[in-house]
Amino acid sequence: MTTGAVVQEQRDEPGLAAGPRALGPGRARGVRHLVAPLLSARGLPRWLLWTGLALTSLFVVLAVFAPLVSPYGFNQYMAHGARFPQQAGPSAAHWFGTTVQSEDVLSRVIYGARTSIEVVVLAVCFSLVIGVPLGLVSGYFGGWVDRGLVLVNDSVFAFPYLLLAIVIAFLLQGSVGGGVVTAAIAITVVYVPQYFRVVRSTVLSVREEPYVEAARALGARPRTVIRRYVFANVVQSVPVVASLNAADAILTLAGLSFLGIGMDPSAAAEWGYDVSRGIADAQAGYWWTGLFPGLAIILLVTGLTLVGEGLNDSLNPVLRRPAHRRPLLPAPEVPGAGAGSLAHEGLTSAGPGLSLPDAGLALQGGAGAVGLEQAGPGQVDGRGAASPVIAVSGLRAWYGTERGPVRAVDGVSFQVAEGETLGLVGESGCGKSTLGRALLGLLPEGTSCDGEIRFGGRDLLAASAAEMRAMRGPALGLIFQEPMTRLDPLMRVSEHFAEALKAHEPDISEQEVRERSLEALGSVGIPPTRFTNYPHEFSGGMRQRVMIALALVLRPRFIVADEPTTALDVLVEAQILELLSQLRARTGAGLLLITHNLGIVAESCDRVAVMYGGRIVEQGPVRDVFAHPQHPYTEALLGSTISLSTRTLRSIPGAPPDLHQPPPGCRFHPRCPLAMEVCRALSPPLVSRQGHSVECWARTPPGTVPPGQDARLLIESGSVADEA
Amino acid sequence: MASTSGSLRRYLLTRLALVVPMVFILLTMVFVLLRVAPGNPIVAALGGHLSPSQLAARERAAGYDKPLVVQYGEYLRQVFTGHFGTTLTDQRPVTQVIAQNGAATLELTVAAMLVALAVGIPLGMLAGRLRDTWVDAGARGFGIVIYAAPVFFLGLLAQLVFGTYLGWLPTSSQASVLVQATLQPHTNILLLDAMIDGQWGDIPNLLAHLVMPAVTLGLVISGVVVRLVRVNVIQAMKGDYIEAARARGLRERDVVVRHAFKNALVPIVTVTGLQAALLLSGAVLTEETFNWPGIGNELIYYLENRDYIAVQGIITVFALAVVAISLLIDFINAWVDPRVRY
Repeated sequence: MTTGAVVQEQRDEPGLAAGPRALGPGRARGVRHLVAPLLSARGLPRWLLWTGLALTSLFVVLAVFAPLVSPYGFNQYMAHGARFPQQAGPSAAHWFGTTVQSEDVLSRVIYGARTSIEVVVLAVCFSLVIGVPLGLVSGYFGGWVDRGLVLVNDSVFAFPYLLLAIVIAFLLQGSVGGGVVTAAIAITVVYVPQYFRVVRSTVLSVREEPYVEAARALGARPRTVIRRYVFANVVQSVPVVASLNAADAILTLAGLSFLGIGMDPSAAAEWGYDVSRGIADAQAGYWWTGLFPGLAIILLVTGLTLVGEGLNDSLNPVLRRPAHRRPLLPAPEVPGAGAGSLAHEGLTSAGPGLSLPDAGLALQGGAGAVGLEQAGPGQVDGRGAASPVIAVSGLRAWYGTERGPVRAVDGVSFQVAEGETLGLVGESGCGKSTLGRALLGLLPEGTSCDGEIRFGGRDLLAASAAEMRAMRGPALGLIFQEPMTRLDPLMRVSEHFAEALKAHEPDISEQEVRERSLEALGSVGIPPTRFTNYPHEFSGGMRQRVMIALALVLRPRFIVADEPTTALDVLVEAQILELLSQLRARTGAGLLLITHNLGIVAESCDRVAVMYGGRIVEQGPVRDVFAHPQHPYTEALLGSTISLSTRTLRSIPGAPPDLHQPPPGCRFHPRCPLAMEVCRALSPPLVSRQGHSVECWARTPPGTVPPGQDARLLIESGSVADEA
Repeated sequence: MASTSGSLRRYLLTRLALVVPMVFILLTMVFVLLRVAPGNPIVAALGGHLSPSQLAARERAAGYDKPLVVQYGEYLRQVFTGHFGTTLTDQRPVTQVIAQNGAATLELTVAAMLVALAVGIPLGMLAGRLRDTWVDAGARGFGIVIYAAPVFFLGLLAQLVFGTYLGWLPTSSQASVLVQATLQPHTNILLLDAMIDGQWGDIPNLLAHLVMPAVTLGLVISGVVVRLVRVNVIQAMKGDYIEAARARGLRERDVVVRHAFKNALVPIVTVTGLQAALLLSGAVLTEETFNWPGIGNELIYYLENRDYIAVQGIITVFALAVVAISLLIDFINAWVDPRVRY
């Protein structure tokens, strides 16, 4: 039944794959987790949850106070010495009409709620008491115990639940008699496997959690581990299952009674039994005897289902709704002109955008675009006048989240020339991947973007979605980090190629599709015999080759490669990088190579841009930047890599900035050994010298730093980052 | 490729081998339920109606006085030889009950499943694709409420509207008496029998009888299908290959239809299989509601008449049907999803 279905949903979703996400021991305490979703749920889940609770409580109240609420008894057919009318339609005296036996339908519906709730509460309690311990034991100990229990449970689970309940209720009815307990036991047997499954899979997932493994490694006894860690997680998944099971149990009870099994009709009112009598009535035109009990079933089951779904929605990260609101972008920050008065004292004399003429050094304000175009890579990197394939200036991309905007890319400018490789490096979470996606117009919903991306004589940010789509592939290519999951598992490689080619060249012939695909595959070293294979038949390295060929077959002029070798081993990494540089040389495409590996940059890039906290803090020719890093962050990055000559390995103190609230002034100042007073107040201006530019107050020409702001800040490693 | 079909064959053989323990567990379960559980079926059925000595005689006749192991062996022998005995009440061979009424159940459940998929898959896809819009809210609401409706109550409403008031459709049985009398039983599936003999004129009558039960049961199951397809589509839309397909500049419609929907449907095969329990349970209620001469209807009849030989045979057949369905589902999966057979 549903719960079965929901259990299946859970199995298919990574998020709930084995029950809700495992909680750390610190957070897993007490009943708070049961109540938390009620308060924390937002939007639809909240609405579902509260509607469900309202409906459910309505019936619980009716059940508990049935004798007070109900006008008559459930099998009462007369009052004040007068028999009720037979099969009378709804009236003031009998709101829901009367049955063929003159019973009041409203009273039967109210007492029916009592029966249902009694049976369900009993059944859910029984199932919990039996199913949860079985699941815990099976999941924790594994081995033969587990296998045996799973087999038995799966068999029971696969068996048509109602038939099982029918037979059990029938047998019990013969020996014990019909009633609430008989019905509850029959239903319990049916639902135990579901608790077993959920609890077992939760245990399995928690078992793998590092903190549980650690506890076991430290010698905690199995029972302690189960009690402390596993149980806390199980407590979270059980309410979902229990409420959905309760819904199913009501339907099962109604089904049993409909068939006249389990409940003794003279002992209690039951909705399903009433509907079964209502069918005969309905054919004679007496619609009310079956309609109201039936509606009662629907309402209560809906209520319980809503509670379960609402809980599931708000607990399950996969189903949780992403924040869709796009953040509003404020006017771009002007470097060197941050907070109020300082700007006047210090920089207004120089003014944003001013170029200092000495030795080709440019000090730029604004978005930095002007300066870059003046001293672009074409002029200074020794490649002659190679024209830029893509020129980005002042690009910002902010995500909307519950906590406010994340300033993933926050004013970034660079260019990539034809046949050039620009390496983009930085720590995880500094905005590298967002930048790459932004160039192709592939940012998720709820992202705001501004600035300018000039490509082929136009601004990509101004292009429509359809125009962007048409450009992705033939003009702009993207190679992903994780090749294992980027190909559709159900499609042959050949189909991927045909699909991509036909999307952009609808008139292409099958013959040409084949020729071009095989040519592209050949260029990455994949033999034609593998053309019709499925993705799972390739190794990781081979798949990345296929992905590259798939990007190349459309002959893009600019390619973003987002950590293309991170998921691959070192040998394959070298092959793929070699391949990329050959292809770039052959096709003349510009390449933006996103990586966190400085070795890769040194090997295969012409220029490098160092990203920190959503900004490019330094960029220039690779040799120049590596030999003479200007930004303290670049220096620190270089110092944290290992090479044959490494004597002391340094790490960068502190953590990357929280992009919800980046530190004011220079984003690196909380971790910077050179930080001055000014760094805390003002964004540093861009300083360029011979195509090597840096955003750092410490590298500005003398006199740029406002007087009195040049005092060094004392940076204590570790604690500083928190201060920001 | 040769190796692929080789591994497919190996997969199917492995899967077949796994059936053996499941069959044994299910059969044992049925046996335990009907013979070992407190209150054996003879006492349950006839207790109070017969004197203790008569009860003992009955138990002896049915072999219930023998050791359990012997009874278990005899039960298994019955199952594997296909001799389930004859019913106590109307002296029908149980195999005949299974063949005739089982065919009616098959017809009903297949039709209902088709309805469920035809309604549930498009609705679930729409909801998943247009997530958090009013379409989604409507589809989810439909899924929850339709599932919350007991199948017999929906049947009652349908009978009221289309039978009692509009008079469009018959409210009970599988065919009109005349049609039933003229059809030759070949497969016992009346629609097929009519086609085999070319009695095309009977088909509208058969369909008219089938529509209401099948749609009623199908709608209830579609509630589950909607929810599952929706979740799968949402899941699939987050797939890495979806972003990759967009990065190649595919049209959004192609991305959704060719990649997201296709991948979303793969788990549906499995899930549809898991709904077999729901389907068969619902069939029992639907048959009772519409007086459809299926095996569930017979089960209730024999239960009411305390005919435990018939009950045991029917329950055993349900158990075997469950195994067959799970096997079938795995085979379909292997055919649809290239990863399974690898």
